[in-house]
This record gives sequence, structure tokens and C-alpha cells, in this order.
Amino acid sequence: MSDALTLDRLTVKFGAFVAVDDVTMSIADGELRVLLGANGAGKTTLMDMISGRVPCTQGHVRVFGRDITNWQEHKIAAAGVGRKFQIPSVFRNLTVKQNIEVARCHGQSVFKNLRFGMSPSDSDRVAEIVELIGLAAVQSLVAAHLSHGQTQWLELGILVAQDPKVVLLDEPTAGMTHDETYKTAEIIRRLRGNHTLLVIEHDMSFVREIAEIITVMHLGKVIAEGSVSDIETNDEVRAAYLGSAGIS
Amino acid sequence: MDLKRKLQLAAYALFILSLFAVPLFTDDFGLNRASKYLVYGMLGLSIALTWGYAGVLNLGQGLFFGLGAYMMAMSLKLMSPTSLAQGSDKPIPDFMLWNAEPDAPIELCCITPGSYLWIPFQDQWFGVAMGIVVPVVVAGLLGALVFKNRISGVFVSIITLALVLLVRLIVIDAQPVTNGFNGLTDLGFFTVFGYEFDPYSREMYYLVAVSLAFVLVAGRLLADTRASLILQAIRDDQQRARHLGFDVPLYQTFFFVVSAAIAGYAGMLFVLVSEFASPTFMDLSFSVTMVVWAAVGGRSSLLGACIGAILINVIESQVSETEALVDAWKAIIGLIFVLVVLFLPRGLGGLAHDFVDWLARRDREKAHGLAASSSSPEREVKQDV
Amino acid sequence: MAEVLFIGLSLSSILLLIALGLAITYGAMGVINMAHGDMVMIGAYVTVMSKIWLDLSFFAAIPIAFFVTALIGLVIERLVVRRLYGRLLDTLLATWGISILLQQSIRLEFGLSFFGINIEGLGPGLQNVSVPSVLQGTVHVAGTDLNAYRVFIIAVTAVLTLVTWAILYRTSFGVQVRAIIRNPQMAAACGIDVKRVNALTFAFGSGLAGVAGVMMSGFKTVFPDMGSTLVVDGFLVVVAGGVGSIYGTILASGLLGEINALVALFSNDIIARAVVFAVVIAVIVLKPKGLFSFKGR
Repeated sequence: MSDALTLDRLTVKFGAFVAVDDVTMSIADGELRVLLGANGAGKTTLMDMISGRVPCTQGHVRVFGRDITNWQEHKIAAAGVGRKFQIPSVFRNLTVKQNIEVARCHGQSVFKNLRFGMSPSDSDRVAEIVELIGLAAVQSLVAAHLSHGQTQWLELGILVAQDPKVVLLDEPTAGMTHDETYKTAEIIRRLRGNHTLLVIEHDMSFVREIAEIITVMHLGKVIAEGSVSDIETNDEVRAAYLGSAGIS
Repeated sequence: MDLKRKLQLAAYALFILSLFAVPLFTDDFGLNRASKYLVYGMLGLSIALTWGYAGVLNLGQGLFFGLGAYMMAMSLKLMSPTSLAQGSDKPIPDFMLWNAEPDAPIELCCITPGSYLWIPFQDQWFGVAMGIVVPVVVAGLLGALVFKNRISGVFVSIITLALVLLVRLIVIDAQPVTNGFNGLTDLGFFTVFGYEFDPYSREMYYLVAVSLAFVLVAGRLLADTRASLILQAIRDDQQRARHLGFDVPLYQTFFFVVSAAIAGYAGMLFVLVSEFASPTFMDLSFSVTMVVWAAVGGRSSLLGACIGAILINVIESQVSETEALVDAWKAIIGLIFVLVVLFLPRGLGGLAHDFVDWLARRDREKAHGLAASSSSPEREVKQDV
Repeated sequence: MAEVLFIGLSLSSILLLIALGLAITYGAMGVINMAHGDMVMIGAYVTVMSKIWLDLSFFAAIPIAFFVTALIGLVIERLVVRRLYGRLLDTLLATWGISILLQQSIRLEFGLSFFGINIEGLGPGLQNVSVPSVLQGTVHVAGTDLNAYRVFIIAVTAVLTLVTWAILYRTSFGVQVRAIIRNPQMAAACGIDVKRVNALTFAFGSGLAGVAGVMMSGFKTVFPDMGSTLVVDGFLVVVAGGVGSIYGTILASGLLGEINALVALFSNDIIARAVVFAVVIAVIVLKPKGLFSFKGR
């Protein structure tokens, strides 16, 4: 069995600036990988390249051995890569339930979706997901009216509904209160096992709670990879964080 | 089925029924006018389909309307008695003789440069087919070009605007083939199995009314599909939709093409009813006027936009009976438009929705008794049809 | 050939004259002002009226037209546009309504024609303005005879462009306007009175249209609908040049004016206009941000 997600010498340049420099990593099927790094380390850009938003200058992205480098976004998504954005992005004028339903519509083409309603199994799944993300009470509210935390959960719900093999999460707890973060960790734990996850996160208590292996990036390069304790004691990582008390 | 859905169905049914009741109240002359309004209603609907559902404001819908109209008119022109009386055994449009070189043969093949384009239009059904095919192909190409390049919002509007003006100029310039500014007039009757559709007849009105009813129902069904839900999602956030695996340009182009086909069909019907086709169909003001109808009726309500178009035109025709009020009416339309954009951005359709929401809420509160009425945490859900 | 280029240059300067105001209102405020063409129309009527009623010279009409249209612009901003910031397409629709209102108010002589009162110079008919004798005939420049009025238009356009540039890049007001172009929220957070600056910017843009109207009246018939085609041309120039870029607008008007003149030489005016539309469509499709836009990642 090949790895779920393999990055092979991935590089992108914006003019003379190398945002991501020769990054190689591979994530096993079902693994949850955390991507750490200071602002500007190239973490989000890395996700942009995997999901097809930014074309890479060099290197390859493979999903279960299939080369998806620089494909169009919707084809990458159809190949099984889902993504959550740093700034939560949901369909603001659709209701919570409709948001999940959209994500549950299969098929890239318009012609495959020229039909009415969802299959009973899909409908049940939509109801389940709305329940899972804790938005059942507000399911017929338009998404624009949700709070920040609710919007984040809705986007996670969209991902769960989409059911991609590889899930990219860009700061799923950004701007959340402690309780909200706890609930988010809960949702992410549910994703685990059936999905391969790559998570960008800054909140170390959250990272400790969910992480197996951590990859640390600095100035576009991978500088360390290992377990939570390995990383916390790694000198190079400490230096990268400006020699402060490390990551705490 | 919930209350909203029931009321929506009732509204459609009532509207379609009243379409067929019109002949009870008016004569053939009135029916001819009514037919035109129904065609405008169809145009309003076609605008709402792209504007409300895809978020694409087409400022050049007159292009598709005009293309449909010209295709139909070319066939009917060849069926006109005057075209048969130009000293040739095959029909020749009269204006081509006026534009021809003195020694040109009186044949469609070569009487004027480009006149050979008319040859297949001797078959009326070729004109009918082209009236749909040409708008569809043009919209498909334009949509593919625009949406593949991820052009959105106001830039799409400006491209459609520039394109309709561009085609208008070409039509005007191609005088020997299109009769330029004057357009195509003096047309023959549309004939099906030997039956001639007189523009001033009940039969013609029914043809238009059935067409509109069909387009309305088909449009409603299309708007209820999953594809339409995905389209609305794309309208809200293209990037998100892409990362869910949807081929975004395909969805946008598909609905753009459907809208163009409806507009082309409306153009054909308009030619049957009004017996002319002219470059004024592609004037900017006409395309914007369609948008005004849709905005007043409700930009994201198919039935609303349709009714808005009909309503405005009925009022306009009433007002226009007094000569002096024609210009005043134009000013009033301008004012109404400003007011609608400022204070009623969802148009009459939006107003109807709010009313239905209010009914539904009142219903719910009754069902739950007084206790529940004070503790409804749900804010009002504004969801457009 | 030099003559064609000169005609192209004068076409360009007219385009620029119309587009300059739009470039500012669209670029700075995110307002698509469809009534801009009607400001040009009003400017032209100011010329007609100031001649008939005040017996003022053509030149005197220029500042009057500027202030009249600027004032109307200010009123429109207060009453309508102000409520629509951030809703780009709605500004287009609402100002289209205003455009109809302005046209009809001239045609109906502010509604007075209902009461049998007619104001000379207004109404649905055509008006003509006679150009002062100084601007008639030709001037001799660099060995060729050039139409004096065209030279005058080019000169006025150049002056107005310079003035606009100076206001935008050499005054503190200009700094505020440019700050709003880049980021209105941030500008507001920095203590810029965005509302006031927007209102003045809109008035200034409208005033420029008024001056354009005076210029137009010298070589075109003046009538209530004259603005509708002008505003479209102006927009295409602004969009092709790149929204928010004054340089882009200048260059695009130069480009489109010359293309128009060159194509007209080989075919006719209708085809020339069609080609200009085609070029604009191509530019938007290939470079949606315009030929000369800000570089952004």
C-alpha cells in the first residue's frame, strides 16, 4: 500500500522569492499529520499547491500513488483531496443544511446533477453530519448568520460530507474560544481513521491533543519531523522560533 | 410538503391558469399586445435565471433575443409575398434588389455579397432550428471563454454588454444581408402543416402562452435540481465549490446557455407576433430594460421576474394611451428603478417571500401555542426561490 | 498618415475626457456611474443655455458646467450612491435609473412642458452650439494644417488630466483618495473621512464629465440621449485600462482612439467601433484586471 499523500521535492517561486523550497514528505494512509511553523513558513502555500490553487514550479504531488501535480482544483478534489480554508469559507446565502447537501452532491459535471433531491442514504448522512457538527438547531438558517465558530464547524461539516480520502485543514481552531476548540478537536477525532489528515495548527495544547507526527517548516523548508516530544526538544526548531522559550 | 412549497405551486398554477383566461377578456388586437408582454415575461425569466441563480448579470441578453429573432425573421421574410414577386421563381428579399449591383443575377446565391447565407432559410424549420442553435452556440462559446478564464461579476456584465453592441454594429453594417438599420419587415406567416399563424389571432396567443407556461415549468424544475443548488453555491463562493470537486465553468456555462436558449426562443416568438426584426433588439437600452423588469419583479425569482416584466409593460401600455404621458412614464420607470434598487433589492418576488415567511411563522406559532411564540431563537430565513 | 494619427489622438482625448471622471469614481469608490454620460449631456446643455440666457461665451461655459455637474453629482451621491457602497452591480442599476431621470427632465423641461411652459434650449429637440471664431478653421503645426477645435480639445484634455493627476498625487486630498482606492476600511481606520472624500470625489468626477460635455457640444449635436453611448465608451476604456489606474485609463484611451481612427481609414466608422468593442472584449478575457493594473499576488 502506497502512502496517502506524497510530496516530492515540491517548490514554488513567486518571482525571486521561494515560498516553498524543495519540500519532501509522505503521509501514511489514516495518519494525522500536523504542520507547524511560524507565519510565512510556507504552510498555507504548501496546501495551496496540494489542492491546486497555486501551481508549483517544481516537484510532484501524489495521492495514493497518483500524480495530481498542477491539476485543476476540481479534479484534485474529485481525486480525493478536501480542504478547509484558514478564513472559513462556506456558501453564505445557502442554509446550513443546503451547505452540507451541496457537499454531498457527487459528480463534477452539471449533467450528473440534473436531478431532484438526495437519495435516502445521502439525506440520512446529511442529517447525521448536521448533528455531528452540532448545528441541528440552526440547520435552516442561512450560513451568513452563523457565528465564527459555527462557520468553522460548518466548513468541517462540508468536508465530512464531501468525504475525501485526504483532508487538508488550515488552522481549524483559529479565532476559537477554549470550548469551541474542544468541540473542534472532537469533530477532527471523528474524521480520523477513515481519512488521512494534514493539519496546520498553532495552538500547542490542541496539537498535543491530536498530533501523532509533526512536521516543522521554516522559511519554506522542512526543518524537523517527529513526535510531539521530539519536536519540543529539537534545537533547530527552537532556533527557528527565535531562540525564545521554544513553542509553548 | 410545507406551506411555502404549497404557496409557490399555487402561485405558478394561478399564473398559468390566468394566462389561458386572457382570451376571454380581450379581442384579437388586445391578444396581440398581450402576446408581446408574455414574450417580455419570458425574457425577464431568462434574466433571473442567470442573475439570481448564477450571480451573472447579463447586460447583453438582447444579443440572444436578437439572434433568435433574426433567424426566424429570415425564414419568414422568404415566405413573404413580396419576396416571391421580385421577378425570380425563387423568393428573394426585396431589400437585396435595392442593395444589389445593377448586373447581379437575381438569385439568393449571389445577388449581394453574403446573400448565399439565406439559402437554407428557405426552409422555415431551418430558421426555427437556428433560432435556438445560434444563441446556444454563441452563449456556449462565450460562456466557455469567460467562465474558464474565471471572469466574474461586473466583468461578465461588461463583456456581454460590449458583445451585444458589437454584433449590433455588424448587423447594421451588413446592409446587403440584413437590411441594416431598417431590419427585416414585411414578413410572411409562420406556417405549420399548412396552417398559417395570424399574429392577430387566438391561435397565436395560445402558441405564446403555451410556450411561456412550458418555459416557466421547465425553469422551475431546473431551479429545483441539485445542479441549481450547486450553481447557487458557486455564486456564493466559487473557490469553495471548486475544492468540492465541481467543474465550476461547466455549471455556469450550462445555465448561461439555457438562459440564452430561452431568450432566443423569446426572440422567435416576438417576430411571429410583431412581424419584424430590427437591430434595436440589440440596443443597450433594451437589454438594460430587461434587467429592470427582472429587478422590479425579483432578481432571484423566476415567476417574479416574469410577472415584473408583464406588469411594467401592461402599465406602460395603459399610460402610453395618453400621448403626453409617454415621456413622463419613462421618467417614472427611472425613478421606480432607483427606488427598487435602494429599498426593495429583492423586488416584488422578495416581498412575496417575506409575506410567505410571515405566514409560515404565524402558522408555526399557532401550532406551537402561545408559549413557543416568544422563544423562537431562529432568525428569519431568507431563501429565494 | 500623420493626419490619421492626429484624428486618432483627438478621438483618444475625447475618450479620455469622458473616462477620466469614470476612472476616478469607479476606481476610487467602486461605483459604476451609468449617469456619467448624462453629466456630459448636462455639460453640453449648460453651454447651450449659458449662450441663450446669459449670452456667455463658450469658454465661460467651461467652469459653469464643471460646477453645475459637480453639484448634481454631489446630490446624486448623497441621495443614492451613498447607500450602495459595496454593491457594485446595484450602483450600475440605480445610476441607470438616474440616467433615465436626467434625460427625461431635460426632455420634459423639468416637467414644465406639461404646463405649456417651454424653456428655450431644453426639450426633446436638437441644439447646436457655435464654436468661437478663434477655434474655427485650422492651425499650422509642424508643417501640417490641423483642425483648430481638435487641437483645443487635445489641449483641454491634457490640462484636465494634469490637474487630476496633480490632485491625486500632489495633494493631501489625493493621498486620501488613493488610500481609499487601495483599502477603504483601512483608510477609514486611519481617520480618513471616507464619506466626505467619496462625496467630493464623486462630485469632481461628475464635474470632469461636465467639462467633457462643453467640449462635445462644440462638434456634436446636443440632445437629451447623447450621453448613453458616451458612458459605454468611457467604461470600456476604464475597464480595458485597468480599474483604479489613471495611467491605464490614459493609455487605453490612446490605444482605443488610435485603433478607431486607423480602422476607420480602411473601412468605415461602424466597423471601427465594432473593432474597438472586440479589442476591449479580448483585453478583458485575456487580462481581466486590465492592461495596466496594480500588481498583486
